[in-house]
Amino acid sequence: MKVLMANIEDVMREAAARWTLVAYFFLSTIFILIFASAINLDIVDGALAGAKLFGKQVEVNGSMSIEKLVMGFESGFSGVLYVLCTFLAIFATAHLVPRMQEKGTIDLYLSRPVSRVKLILSRYTAGLILAGSNVLYLIGSIWVIVAWKTHVFHPRFFLGGGVILFLIATLLAFAFLIGVITSSTAVSIMATYGVFFFGVMLAGHARIEAALSKEWQAAGIKLLYWIMPKTAELATAVVAYVAGPQMHNEFLQIKAAPFISTAIFGLVCLVLASWLFQRKEF
Amino acid sequence: MSQTVIEVSGLKKQYRSSVGRSRITALDGIDFAVREGELFGLLGPNGAGKTTAVKILLDLTRPTAGEARISGLPAGNPESRRRVGYLPEGHKIPGYLTARQALGIFGKMSGLDDATIKRRSLELLEKLRIAQWIDVRVKKYSKGMTQRLGLAIALLHSPHVLLLDEPTDGVDPVGRREIRDILRAEAAANGTAVLLNSHLLSEIELTCDHVAVLRSGKVAAAGSIEELTRRAAKYKFVPAAPVDDALVGAFRETGAGVERVNGHLLLTVDDVAHLNALVDRLRAGGGLLAELSPVRSTLEDVFVDLVRAVDPGAQPSVEGGAR
Repeated sequence: MKVLMANIEDVMREAAARWTLVAYFFLSTIFILIFASAINLDIVDGALAGAKLFGKQVEVNGSMSIEKLVMGFESGFSGVLYVLCTFLAIFATAHLVPRMQEKGTIDLYLSRPVSRVKLILSRYTAGLILAGSNVLYLIGSIWVIVAWKTHVFHPRFFLGGGVILFLIATLLAFAFLIGVITSSTAVSIMATYGVFFFGVMLAGHARIEAALSKEWQAAGIKLLYWIMPKTAELATAVVAYVAGPQMHNEFLQIKAAPFISTAIFGLVCLVLASWLFQRKEF
Repeated sequence: MSQTVIEVSGLKKQYRSSVGRSRITALDGIDFAVREGELFGLLGPNGAGKTTAVKILLDLTRPTAGEARISGLPAGNPESRRRVGYLPEGHKIPGYLTARQALGIFGKMSGLDDATIKRRSLELLEKLRIAQWIDVRVKKYSKGMTQRLGLAIALLHSPHVLLLDEPTDGVDPVGRREIRDILRAEAAANGTAVLLNSHLLSEIELTCDHVAVLRSGKVAAAGSIEELTRRAAKYKFVPAAPVDDALVGAFRETGAGVERVNGHLLLTVDDVAHLNALVDRLRAGGGLLAELSPVRSTLEDVFVDLVRAVDPGAQPSVEGGAR
């Protein structure tokens, strides 16, 4: 526990001292403020009389209830947060392993009576806490703003945060693996963003497979699809979770398979990162 | 009888070169042991394997063969580092931390509670004369101050074993003496075994009881400083009249080292009997001896002789002498 606490303190102090924490939360706050000032709802007797976004009138169906509008808005907006939170999190935490592995620094960490696996997992947890606090800050703030402006409390919005954190945990495991191998923050960030976009691209694997002339190429794409994290499917799941069962349709549905295969990807990355770190010579 | 706390036996380490399949031997079967309360110096030219040996003791790198143990536990066991303090050469304490924070984080990682960290931090920073900098970020520190803080981190958990790589690097002469005093006090009061790895031979000579000289990955010489400096006994040999080359040649035939220095000879002999044989040789040729006095070898002499014995053209990396 002391090792974990020490790592959390180290990660938070580093984030604060290097302005990462400030920039991280500053960007999030800017986003929240823009959002708070952009949305303007006119509610009369509990019903939505009009809505303005960035000062422009939004067409509102007369039969739409304020609850449904909030649900629709929050589910759509959670998709935006999915990308924003993930990118900010990777940017703020991908350096944790490369910086620790720097010559002259790693000796100080490894000369403690702590196993290397425990050390890297503590650091991973500390990174996840940093990222998680930002997700909570963004989602929580927007939820409060929406609740304040509409008086509608829609707790499902936080379910989206859970899925976002799940993806961050997976991608952070991959960033740690690349960090252990290359000791480079830049490569860790680029490779992790690459995995994110590759995952989105592979969501259309059926069409890519159909366009390929050779069978082994199609099989390769299918295999990659099952190996890589399902970033597109998880984005859909975020929206579906926030929207709730009444909004589900053939596009907006929650399936277990993307979660399972993404979790396996993250777990394998974390195990590999720990194993390589354990074997690495400094 | 004091216990052995650092044991190194048959330790070998080979690195694979990044190009091709060739292997570079950093350590070629070294043995040494350090007892509790002992101040042990590890010497050697660049690339002799000193840092590799220390890294193996800390499990930062693994041996190709042989064994390294600390307090009876294999170096690969994290528990062996429970009572080990380490000051690496060129260490980088994160610059964003203050001394208080750095001591707090590394203290927790060593299993200390907050109260002990607080008490020991103040005590050590006072002793190392950087207490007034406790809340200043490390990036503002001079090299000497960073070195002192590094030593404080190494000493924080009252270790039984201290592994120090160039501990006085960048420290002023007064600070060096203070660090020497601290190390001696730790060894005497707490039985701490100190393994000092340094290029500064004068530091080793002033601090350590025993040394091992590494050369090309092997222990070229080991023992107490007294033993090592006696091994290469030198004498100032002043004959009444100049000595001819024939007699110098005859001296050399006995295995003695002979140097002509300002009209006298500087003889390196094995022992007193050898010295007396040379005096007899001089007298047998009708010569007379005007003066004979011992010249104490320094650790630097021993070191340079050992390095040159392998490679006469070698430039041993010595940053400070001990004359």
